[in-house]
Amino acid sequence: MTIRNRIFTVVGVVIAAAFLQTLIVLQVENRRAAAADALDRAIWRLENQADLGRIIIELDASQRIVDARGQPALAAERDRVWGLYERVMARLPESFDSDESRRELAAIDALMRQWRATPPGGDSAALMARIRPDFDRFQTRERSRLGEERIKVNSQSLQSTLLTLAIPAVAIVMLLMLVAFVARILLDPLKAIATSAKTISGGNFDVSLPQGSRDEIGDLVRAFREMITAVQRRERQVTEARIKAEREHQRLQATIETVPVALVIVDAETGRIVLQNRTAGALIGHEPGDDAAREAFWRAFCVTTRDGTPVDVRTWGAEGVLRGQVIVGEELVVKHPDGREIPILVSAAPLREDDGRISGAVAAFQDITSLYEVDRLKSEFVSIVSHELRTPLTSIKGALQLLIDERLASDPDHAMLLNVALSNTERLVRIINDILDISKIEAGKLELNARPHSVSELVKQSLQNVEPIAHGALVALRADIEPGVPAVQVDLDRAIQVIVNLLSNALKVAPPRSEVTLAARRAGDGFVAFSVTDRGRGIEPDKIGLLFQKFQQLDGANTRKARGTGLGLAIVKALVEMQGGQVTVDSTVGHGSTFTVTVPVAGDQGLGASGQ
Amino acid sequence: MKLLLAEDEPDVQLIARLSLKKAGFTVVTVGNGVEVLERVAQEQPDAILLDWMMPDMDGYETCRRLKADPATASIPVIFLTARVQEAEVARAMALGAVGCIGKPFDALALGTQVLELLKAT
Repeated sequence: MTIRNRIFTVVGVVIAAAFLQTLIVLQVENRRAAAADALDRAIWRLENQADLGRIIIELDASQRIVDARGQPALAAERDRVWGLYERVMARLPESFDSDESRRELAAIDALMRQWRATPPGGDSAALMARIRPDFDRFQTRERSRLGEERIKVNSQSLQSTLLTLAIPAVAIVMLLMLVAFVARILLDPLKAIATSAKTISGGNFDVSLPQGSRDEIGDLVRAFREMITAVQRRERQVTEARIKAEREHQRLQATIETVPVALVIVDAETGRIVLQNRTAGALIGHEPGDDAAREAFWRAFCVTTRDGTPVDVRTWGAEGVLRGQVIVGEELVVKHPDGREIPILVSAAPLREDDGRISGAVAAFQDITSLYEVDRLKSEFVSIVSHELRTPLTSIKGALQLLIDERLASDPDHAMLLNVALSNTERLVRIINDILDISKIEAGKLELNARPHSVSELVKQSLQNVEPIAHGALVALRADIEPGVPAVQVDLDRAIQVIVNLLSNALKVAPPRSEVTLAARRAGDGFVAFSVTDRGRGIEPDKIGLLFQKFQQLDGANTRKARGTGLGLAIVKALVEMQGGQVTVDSTVGHGSTFTVTVPVAGDQGLGASGQ
Repeated sequence: MKLLLAEDEPDVQLIARLSLKKAGFTVVTVGNGVEVLERVAQEQPDAILLDWMMPDMDGYETCRRLKADPATASIPVIFLTARVQEAEVARAMALGAVGCIGKPFDALALGTQVLELLKAT
C-alpha cells in the first residue's frame, strides 16, 4: 500500500472518527435537551397540577358554602373557578408524557364533571370525598415520576459532560498516533537514507538501509540502493581504469627507461625537453632550467652530418619535425662539450594533439659508436681475409699457369687435369672477388670513381673481356651502338664489370651458333641504356624475382654450366643503383632474355640529353 | 733487365720469380723490406717490385725510405698488392711508385704488366 493511500486512509479514518464524534455529541445533546425539556414540562405540569389541586379545593369549598348557605354570589364565584378548572384541564392532559398519567387524570376529570353535574342537594360532597384522595394519590405519583425524570436528566448531563471531555482526549490521542505513524513510515526511513548518503559521500559503501517496503519510501530505498550499486560499479570501473592506466604508464616508463635508445620529447611552444630517458641523460646530459644557461648548454654541442657539414639541431627540428615531417634513421655526429664525438642515428616524429595540432616532437637517437666499430672490424676482417685467401690462390694459379705454359704436362690426361685445376682456381678467385664486392657494397665501403667515358670504349672493352668465352661457346658477339649516343658518367672498371657480368650470363645460356647482342641507346632523362640480349631459353616469369637475390642460381637446366657464384646479378644491381641507374629484365620463354642497365649521361651532355 | 722482388710468401715469390724469368728478367728475391734496403746498393736493380704487406718492414715504409735516399730514389718501384682500391693506388703513386699490380696476378701476364709500367715512365 502506498504512503499516499495510507495517509488518505488515516485522514479518512480521522475524519470519520470526528464525524462520528460529532454525531455522538449531537445525539447525546439531543437526548439531554429532550430530558431537560421533559423536566421543564413535568415541572410546569406539577405547577398546573398544584393549581388544579387548589382549584378543586376551592371548588369544593365554594360548593360546600353554596350548599350550606345558598348564597348566589358564591355560586358565581364557584362558576368562575370552574372556568379556571376548565382552562387548566384543557391544556394539562397534552403535557403528559405517559398515557397512564393521562388516563388517571381523565378519570379524575370524569369524576369532577360528575361532581359538577350533581344537582344541588345531591351527594356532591361524597363524590368530592372520593375525588380529593384520588387527586392526592395522582399528585404523589406524578411527583415520584418527576423524581425519576430528574435522575434521568442528571444522568444524561453527566454523560454529556463526560463526552465533552473525552472527545478532545480521543482527538489528541489520534493526533499523537498520526504523528507516530508519519514518523515511522516517513521520517525514520528518510533519516536512515540521509545517514547512508553521508556515509557514502565519506567513501564507505558499507551502509545498512531500511527494508524496502511496498511504498514510495520503498521505491526511494530501492532507487537509492540501485544508485549505490551504480556508483560503486562506476567507482570500481574508474579505479580499475586508473590502476590499468597507471600500470600502462609504469610499463611505458620502464620501457622508455630500459631501451638502449635515447628518447627525448620536446615541447613545441617552449622548445624545452619535457621528457628524456636515462640513455638520453647519459648521452647529452640534462638541459638547465634557466634560459640563458640552456642557450649556452645547447651552443656547446656541435652537430654535423657524417661528412662534417654542420647542422643546427633546433632549426632542423623546427623546420622539419615540427612541421610534420618524420625523420627515419638519419646519421649525425654529435661533438659533445666533454670532447666525445658520438655518431648517432636519429629518428624523429611530430606529436599531435587530437585536433591535429603539433604539440611537440619525439626524437629517438642511438649511439652507433659500437656499430661504427663493428663496421670497421668487418671491413678489416674482409680485408684480411681477402689478402689471406688471395695469397695462396695467387700461388696455385700462377703455378698452374706456368706449368701449362711450359707444356711440362706432355701426357694429355695431365694437361686436362691441370686445366681443370686452373679453371676451378679461377672460379674460386671470381667467387672471392664477388664476395668481397658484395661485402664492400653492403658495408658502404665500395668507392666509385665516376668519370666521363665513351660508350664505344665501354662496349669495346667489355666485349674483349668475354671474347674467349664466346669463342669457346661458339656464340657470336655483336655490338649495336646508337649513333651519337652521349658519353656516360661511370666508374670504368665497375661499368665493365656490370656489362661483362651480363654478357657472361648471356653466353652461358646462349645456344651454339646463336648471337648475343650488346646494344647501347639513349634512354631519356639523362640516361644511356645498355642491353644484353641472348637467344636462350628465356626465364619463367615467376623466376625473374629471384634473379637479383644473393646466392640464387636458376635451375641448372637453364644454363649450360652452373658456374656462377650466385652473386653476379646482385652485384650488378647494386653497382647500377649506386650510380643512379636501374636494371630491368625482359624475357620470353623460348625466345631469350634481354637484361638492360641504365647509367647516367656525363656532365653537360647529360643536361643536354635531359633537355631534349 | 734486373728486378729486385720483395715478397714474404715463398710460394708467391717462386711463382713471381719464374714468371718474370720467363718474361726475360733477371730476378733477385728477398723476403722483406729490410732486406731490400740492404741489397739494393749491391744489386743495383733496374726496378723494384714490393709486396705491400710484409713482416719487419712493409712495402709502404720500404718505398718511402728508397725514395728518401738519393742513391735509390730514381729506381722505379712497383707494388704488388691485394688492395687495388683507388685510395691505395693513389697512396702508392703519391710515394713515387710507378704503379700497382693486383694480386692474384696473372702468372703469364706479370712480365708484360711490369714492362708496360716501366715503359710508361
